[in-house]
Amino acid sequence: MGVFSDIWTIARWEVRKSFSTMGRNVLPVAVILFILLVATTGFVARSGMHLQDGMYTIATDDRQVADLLAADGRFTVYLGEPATILPRQSAFDLVILNRTVFVPFTERGQAAAKTLSRDYAQYVASVYNQETDLFAAYPLWIDSQYVKSELDFQATQSGQYLSVRQRSLTPPVPAGPVVQVTPPAASIPSADALRKVLQQDTGKNDQIARYTNLFTQLPSSMSTFKTPDQLTPTLPFDSIIFIFVFIFPLYFTSQFFMMSIMNERIGRKGEILLSGPVHPLAIIAGKMLPYLAGMLVTSTAVILAAHASLLILLPLLPVILFFLASALLIGMLSRSFKELSFISIFFSTVATSYLFFPSIFANVHIVSLVSPLTLIILQVQGTGFTAADYLYSTSLFYLTSGVLLYIGAVNFNAERLFDLHPFLPRLREFVGSSLSRAHPYRSLFLANVLLIPFVFMLQMMGLVLLFNLPMPLSLVLLIALAAFIEELAKSVGVYSLFAGEFSTLPLRTCVLAAAATAVGFLAGEKLFLLAMLSQITDSVFGSILFLQQGALLLWMPLLLHFAGVLIVILALRYGGRRWYLPGVLAATVVHALYNLTFILGAMR
Amino acid sequence: MNGRNSWIVAKKELAGINYEKTIVFAILLQLFVALFSSFLMVGLTSLYDPSSVSQYSRFRYSIGYSGANSSLLDRLQSSEDFIVYDMDLSPALESLKERKLAAVIYVPATAPDAQGPVQITLYTVQNDLQATVVGVKLKDVLVGYESDLRDARSARITERPIDLSFPPSAQAGGFYEFVYGLLVPLLVFMPAIISASLIIDLITEEYQNETLETLVSTPITFAEMVWGKILACEILVPVQAGVWLLLLALNGIHIGNPVPILVLVSVASLILILLSALTALKYRERTAAQFIYSTALVIVILFVVSVPDNPLNLIVRASVGNAGAEIYAAILLVTGVAALLGYATHLYAKRVGRLAQGGL
Repeated sequence: MGVFSDIWTIARWEVRKSFSTMGRNVLPVAVILFILLVATTGFVARSGMHLQDGMYTIATDDRQVADLLAADGRFTVYLGEPATILPRQSAFDLVILNRTVFVPFTERGQAAAKTLSRDYAQYVASVYNQETDLFAAYPLWIDSQYVKSELDFQATQSGQYLSVRQRSLTPPVPAGPVVQVTPPAASIPSADALRKVLQQDTGKNDQIARYTNLFTQLPSSMSTFKTPDQLTPTLPFDSIIFIFVFIFPLYFTSQFFMMSIMNERIGRKGEILLSGPVHPLAIIAGKMLPYLAGMLVTSTAVILAAHASLLILLPLLPVILFFLASALLIGMLSRSFKELSFISIFFSTVATSYLFFPSIFANVHIVSLVSPLTLIILQVQGTGFTAADYLYSTSLFYLTSGVLLYIGAVNFNAERLFDLHPFLPRLREFVGSSLSRAHPYRSLFLANVLLIPFVFMLQMMGLVLLFNLPMPLSLVLLIALAAFIEELAKSVGVYSLFAGEFSTLPLRTCVLAAAATAVGFLAGEKLFLLAMLSQITDSVFGSILFLQQGALLLWMPLLLHFAGVLIVILALRYGGRRWYLPGVLAATVVHALYNLTFILGAMR
Repeated sequence: MNGRNSWIVAKKELAGINYEKTIVFAILLQLFVALFSSFLMVGLTSLYDPSSVSQYSRFRYSIGYSGANSSLLDRLQSSEDFIVYDMDLSPALESLKERKLAAVIYVPATAPDAQGPVQITLYTVQNDLQATVVGVKLKDVLVGYESDLRDARSARITERPIDLSFPPSAQAGGFYEFVYGLLVPLLVFMPAIISASLIIDLITEEYQNETLETLVSTPITFAEMVWGKILACEILVPVQAGVWLLLLALNGIHIGNPVPILVLVSVASLILILLSALTALKYRERTAAQFIYSTALVIVILFVVSVPDNPLNLIVRASVGNAGAEIYAAILLVTGVAALLGYATHLYAKRVGRLAQGGL
């Protein structure tokens, strides 16, 4: 019970402190800024965005066409006689004479033509909407139906297009039994109902509205019927709006937490807190609690405001924990405010990419489940997610947050908080003191088991970024990247534990340390794979990242991991610290060659 | 006010940034984004312009066609993107499930000039990138078929739009508007935003680490110190923005008028830096200052973007080579504002300095 009351007390202090620093001075200004924000938003809504004004210049001889073009700010329109336009033709991006569009072969001209044709299509639609005989203006309606096919990695294995690339003249014959389907009957709604949808659609067919309507798109029976113009692809690139709505508030709040940790370190203010009879973990938990609560409240408010399902909180929770754990470490590691700013900007960019990029492929590729954001998208779409999906996409976040919090708690002492060593040595010290000198092999083993989630996270990032490159290139790059990440990760433990005493290290210790690392790494890897990643390991990418399906031959990968670490340790032993990076690179080469032969063997 | 003293402070701050290697993070960040600009190209461009996705495949897709004959079948057969198989619906759908087809179209026997609509059914595989690409390619064919049907019913149409005729296949240029109209202004202004947040760190640090006393006891005045810090932040802007332009050029994106763009960004960022310097001098505490600054930044950017001929818009126009003298006018105007703000900052810093000397 004592621990909980400690946490509660510290949490109350934290709230009081942040209100007293932020309070009196800031609050009035914040209110004014909020009013200004609302006013500016109103102003923007009225005057529109003027970012791309005047990108293109167009000349025309027709007043009606000129009026039509003037509605789009991107065009600067010149109205004149053909005789005056033609000599200066090259000065314009587009020339429209006698209602015929002339497009020059410049990049800008092509882009202008594209914008114009899009504008024109919208204009045509707005005219045809008014047509009394709707089915004369819109004679064609497409009913989109989706067929479920199991996500098939065989199809992606040799590039995405394998199975549909046949060029034979005879129609394909299905291998499985054919289920008789009755041709669909006409089921189109009344013309009036369709017209309503059309008119709504032309109103909101611009770039911004697509995002704001994301939450409110309710699936109706009519929306499956589309005119050819409405046949837009279903890739949810629009998911970037979820980053803005859900992730940025979290990032913003974690900044305050970062700063609060940093403030404890300025002028050794936190010393009083540390000297109390409270466990560091309780201090961290207490300081974290208000921000955790704040993030949960903000997220709930956003969800309620968007009329979305509260289930979205579930995938958000691990992200919140991850942000808080990282904020704790960043606050503890930075030496100065500017370092704090740079590191946090860097962290937020990387974290945002990790969350956002996979989610683009939410409905397309299993890789997307790497990001919890995908679950949010699925939930908003109404598809929902299963417990297995949840485990798959959030466990990395839970595990890494746990490890980060542990490192933070172990180092939450006066020695680590108040010294001013440079960033990387500090980082090494942090990891080093999380390891036990008394039981070096046991802690190396455990450290490497616990490193696995980070390794997977980095490799997932590589996978997400590389999987859409052309096939052989993406394979080779991924092999090299995966090998490098693994070798680097394995070396972190040994490097931190034995820093400064490499040259005196007995060979026996070198070998044993390498063995402990290799066993730990392999154990973590296999545990993790067994637990959840079987889906992705079935793909060819998976087998590169997480080694061979030849799990029966456990000793092969074990030997590989052992050799890798040993190379690094020996490089450090005989070459000193300068040979660390070359050592890791050499181990990477060995690792990559091993994987390459294995993959090539498997593909043959 | 001694310029040399300010320069000493600026050099000290730049050396500090260099010593802490924090600038490495900024560079890493740039590289991170630049390295994956290929991804940005594919991913984010499609965010902005979904129909550009179709440029990424040059394969001929197998399509199952089922139902009555129509001009759609002719159009599909003459298209270079598809191989069309005329087959029954049931085996076609089964083949689709087995991924032997990319899509199946069912067309009923409705006459082209019938009173009611022609309702066709398009089957694609759910959860597949391919379905998206096929959808984009099919759209062109279907739009053509729609115009066939419209022609057959033209007697019934009363509302007619102005008829513009386009040259065939103006396909390229999908990235253009995204890159120049959004990416370039965003990237070029990012250093300005970072620098403005940096000045808050530099100023509040002196207060919160209580190092101000030492500084004020040197011959350097408080105002000179503030200007030194502003100078250090300002120097970083054209350097970083220049690196961006260079990286973009390496990616094959050539930016017109780089010099006026860099000048405009530098002067405009001076305004941001001065504003946040004022905020920092007022609050003397990082959390509060950064909070006020970032909220105010959102307001300023929203407001600026909604004004015609704003600096961001001028950068867009200059980068595509479509800006004339107005960018120089903007530089003059922005410089004027910056000078006024600079004067205000100077007065405020002097006042704060006097109070500090008296009060410390």
